[in-house]
Amino acid sequence: MHVLAYLDPGTGSMLVQLLAGGFAAVAVAAKLYWRRLLSLLRIRRRPAEPDPES
Amino acid sequence: MEPRGHDLAADSSIEAGSFRDHDSRVFVTSDGVHRVLSRAALEDWDALAASALWHELQAEGRVVATQPAQLDALPDLLAAEAAGALHHERVPFISYPYEWPFAMLKDAALLQLELNLRALQAGLALKDASPYNIQWRGSAPIFIDVGSFERLRPTEPWAGYRQFCMLFLYPLMLQAYKDLPFHAVLRGSLDGIPPHDARAVLSGERFRRGVLANVLLHARLEARYGDAEGREVKREMQRAGFSKQLLEANFKKLLKVVRELEWKAGATAWTGYGKDNSYDEAAAGRKAQFVREAAARRRSRLSWDVGCNDGAYARIAAESADLVVAFDADHATVDALYRSLREEGRSDILTLVMSVTDPSPDLGWRGLERASLERRGTPELALCLAVVHHVCITGNVPVRELLDWLNSLDAALVIEFPDRSDPMVERLLGGKRDGSNPDYERATFERALEERFTVDRSEPVSETRTLYEARPRA
Repeated sequence: MHVLAYLDPGTGSMLVQLLAGGFAAVAVAAKLYWRRLLSLLRIRRRPAEPDPES
Repeated sequence: MEPRGHDLAADSSIEAGSFRDHDSRVFVTSDGVHRVLSRAALEDWDALAASALWHELQAEGRVVATQPAQLDALPDLLAAEAAGALHHERVPFISYPYEWPFAMLKDAALLQLELNLRALQAGLALKDASPYNIQWRGSAPIFIDVGSFERLRPTEPWAGYRQFCMLFLYPLMLQAYKDLPFHAVLRGSLDGIPPHDARAVLSGERFRRGVLANVLLHARLEARYGDAEGREVKREMQRAGFSKQLLEANFKKLLKVVRELEWKAGATAWTGYGKDNSYDEAAAGRKAQFVREAAARRRSRLSWDVGCNDGAYARIAAESADLVVAFDADHATVDALYRSLREEGRSDILTLVMSVTDPSPDLGWRGLERASLERRGTPELALCLAVVHHVCITGNVPVRELLDWLNSLDAALVIEFPDRSDPMVERLLGGKRDGSNPDYERATFERALEERFTVDRSEPVSETRTLYEARPRA
């Protein structure tokens, strides 16, 4: 088992890395499992911003 | 109960700035600089030491020279059990990013990204991204945190990305895009500038390279999803297909952003000073000769050039010193000096942005994490040329108090005193009431100097300026 990194990478900072690679990352990004990711982002929305569908 | 471990404040052998990574800790013994490693860190070290990359980086001098250390006993400095130790080359003088000119912070950022990219290709990674992990051999950056290397987890995003933005990218963007010096911000916050704060300053620069993704999007995603459970997001990103290729694309993109950041420093009052000052060539020649003779009386391990300007005298002092720390309060001047020394490949002059009247203090955890200027080592020789009038008239430091401070360094001294009739002194006094700074007189200065130092020699270099060579009283 790996030890956890001592730095908290930050959720927002992790997500930027999916999007910030530029054109070089387009091919990679195209292959991403977007549906799962998008559902993740919807689920992870702040509780202060209630989902209008709920 | 037996006290466990060592108290930071009581045990000066522990490097106080190295506490954050609980798998690795730096300490100093009479044999030099050591690093104690946990079991996990030792395994990461073994992976690094076995790689071709490690041998390349050691040969290139990009990473501090390091060997496994054979110690009789491992100190109890880690939360976990200590499993091994390393021995490091000693860096001659520690400096911090809030003291570096723009071009130094930029070169440090490029080294960090280059290491990230090369580590990735070697199946390794760097667990953080802090400019405090980079030190200098004169004008060459050197990475000192060997404990930062770990085995790559190819499906994990870069844990150091946020830190890279806060401590490297945003400070550089502030300087390059807004002409806003980063030193006060980095000195004020050792963790750097959070995305939210960077956005507040840089939102008008959205069309500049790197701002949209690394500042605006970053701040927005952090505000929106910052409280999501990190471990779960990481797991979902792995499932979504986050990969080594994406890491590589991000490093390359950041490299491109940083490479293109340029700070166009305007001409300040000081940038042309060495060439265009108020005394003639003959005076400059006499001054150079005086400094050369005084510096050559000893081989110094460390010399300071206080108020170094274009570095002409720091270069002379370097003829008889292992290292000259050359500092000046004017950022543009220090930036230009660093770039010219880098061009020449000089390893014996370290350039820092620092004001004598506001030098770097002790900062961070227990005031021990980052050391004040003097706590990092005092010089054997200090040059104070064309600087007394700025400190005592502009800075209003009493003449005696400036000499008290210089005396406290316990160093040989070369100091220049321009009279009240000197054109530069007249200019500095020009905005003040008549009779201001009454202690700024040659007779007062000489008396105060002789009370504190043995003055070996003095020589007029022009009609209005005198040089003194002095030693602390035994």
